[in-house]
Formats: sequence, structure tokens, C-alpha cells
Amino acid sequence: MSKPYTLNELLIITIAKEIRDDENVVLGVGLPMIAGALAKALFAPRATLIMEAGIIGFQPTMPMENVADCTAFRGFSCSTDLFSTFTMTYRGFVDVCFLGVAQVDKYGNLNTTVIGDYDKPDVRLPGSGGAADFISYAKRTVLTMRGGQFVEKLPYLTSPGYLEGGDSREKSGHFTPGSGPSKLISTQGVFEFDPETKEMFLSSVHPGITVDAVKKKVPWDLKVSPDLHETRRPKDEEIEFIRRNFPTESISKALVLELGLANMARKLSA
Amino acid sequence: MKTGKNKLMSARQAVAKYVRDGDTLIIGNYTISIAFGLVNEVARQKKRGLTLCSQSGHLCDEILTAAGCVERLVTAYVMSAGSREGEYPVSRGLKKGELQVEDYTNFQYNARLVAGMHGLSFMQVLEGVLHTDIFRRRSFMRENKFKVITCPFTGKDTVLVPALNPDVCIIHVQRADKFGNAQYWGAMGSVQAAALASRRIIVSCEEIVEHDVIAASPHFTIIPYFRVDAVVEMPWGAHPSQVVGYYNSDKTGLAVLSMGLMNEDGGKAVLDEWVYGCPDHNAYMKHYVSIMGMDGLNVLRARPYYSTPANYGAAFTSVWDEEGKERTMGVSLDELEQIMKEKEVLYE
Repeated sequence: MSKPYTLNELLIITIAKEIRDDENVVLGVGLPMIAGALAKALFAPRATLIMEAGIIGFQPTMPMENVADCTAFRGFSCSTDLFSTFTMTYRGFVDVCFLGVAQVDKYGNLNTTVIGDYDKPDVRLPGSGGAADFISYAKRTVLTMRGGQFVEKLPYLTSPGYLEGGDSREKSGHFTPGSGPSKLISTQGVFEFDPETKEMFLSSVHPGITVDAVKKKVPWDLKVSPDLHETRRPKDEEIEFIRRNFPTESISKALVLELGLANMARKLSA
Repeated sequence: MKTGKNKLMSARQAVAKYVRDGDTLIIGNYTISIAFGLVNEVARQKKRGLTLCSQSGHLCDEILTAAGCVERLVTAYVMSAGSREGEYPVSRGLKKGELQVEDYTNFQYNARLVAGMHGLSFMQVLEGVLHTDIFRRRSFMRENKFKVITCPFTGKDTVLVPALNPDVCIIHVQRADKFGNAQYWGAMGSVQAAALASRRIIVSCEEIVEHDVIAASPHFTIIPYFRVDAVVEMPWGAHPSQVVGYYNSDKTGLAVLSMGLMNEDGGKAVLDEWVYGCPDHNAYMKHYVSIMGMDGLNVLRARPYYSTPANYGAAFTSVWDEEGKERTMGVSLDELEQIMKEKEVLYE
């Protein structure tokens, strides 16, 4: 029996398994960045990590704060601009990218812009950032979901998944052939997309999670793989790597904030 | 070496002279090295009716919106939007209909600036966007947000965005000379395009250096001096964001701004204390130190990790060799003039 792990650690390790050796990988800030560091350290040493602000070939030694943060490692291979990281993706040099999900539909289309009316929103969300272009041209896109929501119909489509399903994405001729979301990794399980219909289905559940619990969060009749299995438990060395290098990422932001505020209060009263 | 005129001035002078009501103003920095000192000066001078272009949607957007400077926003990301803890000025402005926003992707936003910096009227963007509401939903850009043509070479659907040429760019960099040569390094983002696309450019920098420093490392210069209107020396000018080689981001400082701005009253208090309450950036930093102590800043200072110097050397930089002979012809200047006479190529 391996060491007990946190939910964040399980997610980071599951995400990291999507990175293969020798691949060019575009990371976002947060769990994917830690997953990139873990993959490079433990099983994909020749993977090239890329941040869209123009950082190519780096190995984070602590958590990065944003996509342009160069303070979390010592040096990197190539400093370029944002325009070039996207044209590199367009030309087919990016194997896999990772995107966070606010809202997702059954075909892996994403909304990160707005809930309600665009001009007078109920909730304004951050917007596309790099997402819409990366999911269009990276060979694979892995969706990561912590606080997000599965919805029947998106109020705003920010980033194109498999559009209306079937061959609608491929047929448009506007995307890299074979590209699109390959997996969605949530706090409950891992989802894949049917090769024909492109509808999302449940392929694994995290330890201790039931299929019913997953279905409760999905507003459509979620299909489940006949080969449904339990998500692989993290190995000790993987957990240790995260805790040793990125301890704030092992736990929730709320807990980090609680400890951070207490630390600040201690410093101010000293 | 003298290179153009001395453009050193205070932030107050620079913003008063080069930022006008109704301007399209772009914050040139992307995610880090945010020109907070200049942003606060724009808010302090109560500029009105701005169309703000800001790619990373950092807290600077929230400050300018809270200060009533912004009517329209062009962006790819509104960093604080969708927060569970509170609602920020941009979100509140949109909800009330007091602020209009035009959304692009990071690439499209950058592409508009690349077209602008090169004097082209449009730039091609990536056609996947045709299937999104980024393409379908238009705000104040209306039909000019995107256009679609058939590529005359490939016959494919080709999506275009119009050039963006802001009236003025405010930007913070590591170092500059007094003539305006601005050096920046790290992740390049869309920093250079934002500056060069703009009609007027205000540069703030961590330090002013001699022109010789620039001349020995010109690959770090992203804005040549003749494009720059004002240079402001402003140590800690991007606080509380980070500047590569100078300081890390200040999480405490960011939290102070962030926790204040997430509601209306708090936002007013933040502006009163940190913007209107400080006559300039130096006063802002002094105020910060009076609360956090120097230790609060000292722990953020970067320890050096120097770039290896690039060798710009050459075998020689004069046509005359050690013996005073011209290297190609093998004659001295006196000898050359004698030859000119003999060959009768001189005119009286």
C-alpha cells in the first residue's frame, strides 16, 4: 500500500501521465505546470516544456505564478514571443497542451468567457487567453477540471472541442487533423471521447469515487466505458516529488491562504 | 556617443504630456513587469474616456476601471474575473453596462499589434476561431472585429483581424538610456509589438544606464530610442508584480490591492490610500515600507544570475592597420593622396 495522497496530488500525477517522452508540451499555470515538472523529472526527461509567453525548454524548481514567470527556475533554452509560440502550434510543433475548464459540454467545447448575456453578464469569466487557439492546433488537448461545470448547452463557446460531435470538427477543415480534446481529468475521474460520435464518456474513476457520484454532476446521460477502471494510485516517489518541490500545490488554495495569512500575522506582530 | 535627445522626465510630466482623455491606451507588459507606477499615475491624473488595451488583464485594469478612466476594454483575459471571493471593477462595470469589452484570444490580440507595428492594415489569425463565440459575438468593434476572405494563394477560408495602433503605450522595462533605448528580457510576450504599434511610447525602467551599456548588448533593446517619447526612471516601478533580474512579485502587495478591489468600498479605499494618497511612485514605495518594513522588500530582491556576455567583438574596427596602411590597398593615407595626384583623379 502506497503513501496517502491528497486530491491535488492525484490530479497532478494523472495529468503528468499524459506527457510522453520527446514531446513538446504547452503548460498552463497551476496543476499542469507541476505535472510537467513531475513528468520531466520522473518519466519524460526529454519532454520540452513551453509557456505561451515565450519560455521554451525549462524545468520548474518551484511553482510558477503566471505564464511569463521566469523566477521559478534557473534559465531556459529559448526566449521568444507569444506570437511565435502560437504560430509554432499552428505549424504542428506542439504535441500536447493542457487547458483548465470552467464549463464544458459533452463534445468538449469550452466556455471560459461569460455566464449569462455577453454584453451584460451574470458572471464574467477571464476569457480565452490562449485556450481557443491551442485547442485548435495542438495535436492533443488535455482538459483539467477542478471547480468547473458540465453543462448541456454553453452560454458562450470560447474554445472549440468537437463542435456538434461526429466528424463536424474534422469536416470543417479549420483544425489540425486528429486534434481536439483527448481526455478530461476531473476531481472524480478521467473522461475520454468516443472515436466516432466524439461524445465524452467516463473511462476511469478515482479511488473511492462511484460512477453514480460522477453522473450526478453531469446533466446528460453520461456513457461509461465497458472497460471502466480505477485511476492508478500515485506512487510514493511521485507524491514525494510534489511535496518536496511544490508543497503549496499538494493542498487546496484555501488552506494555503489560511496558512499564509497566519504567517503574515506572525511576521507583522514580530 | 550622443543618440537623439534626452527624454528623461517624471512620471507626472510624461503622463500629463502624452496621455490624453479619450486615448486608446495600451499597457505594454504581459503578465509580469506590469507598469504599475505609470498606471497609478494615469489614475492619479484622472484621465477619462480611455479605450484600454490590456492582454493579461492584471490588477492594473481593475485600478484604472475603479478610477473611472476606462470606457472600453480590449482584452484576451480578465485575470480577476470569475473570482469566488468577490467581484472586481471590470466585472461590476460590465454588469452595470458602464463598460464595454471586446474579447480576442491571446494570439489575435497580439496579431493586431504585429500588424500595427509593421504598418500593415491587417493580420491573418487562426481559422479555428470561426467556430467560436469569440468570432460570432461582437461588441464595439462590430463587423470590424474579424473579416473572412478566401486566401488568394490556397483558396482556404482565412480570418483577418485589423491592425491595432494605440495612441499611447505605457511600459515598464529593466533598463534604458536617457535617449529612450529600452532593454527588456525574460518571456517576451507581446511586449515589443504593443510598444512599437503605438503612436506615443512612455517607458519606465528600473534603472537608467549609460548608452555604452546599451551599445554593448543591443539584442536586449526592444524599442529603439527614436520611437520613445518619455523615459522615467522608476525603481520598483512594477511593484507588486515581478521584474526579471530585479525582484520577485510581492504576494502581500498583490493581496492588499486584490482584497481591496474586490468590492466597491474597498476599491475606493485602495485608490485613496495607494493612488491618490501618494503624490508619486516614490511616495507609494515609502508608504509601503512604512507598513511592511524594508525587510518586506529586501526578501524580494533578485540574486544575480547573469546572462553570459555575447561577444560583439571583431578583428578590427578601422580600415588602417597597425602600420597605418589601408587593409585592402596596402597604402597609407599620404601614399593614397600621392597616388590620386599621379593618376590625375583630383579636381581643383
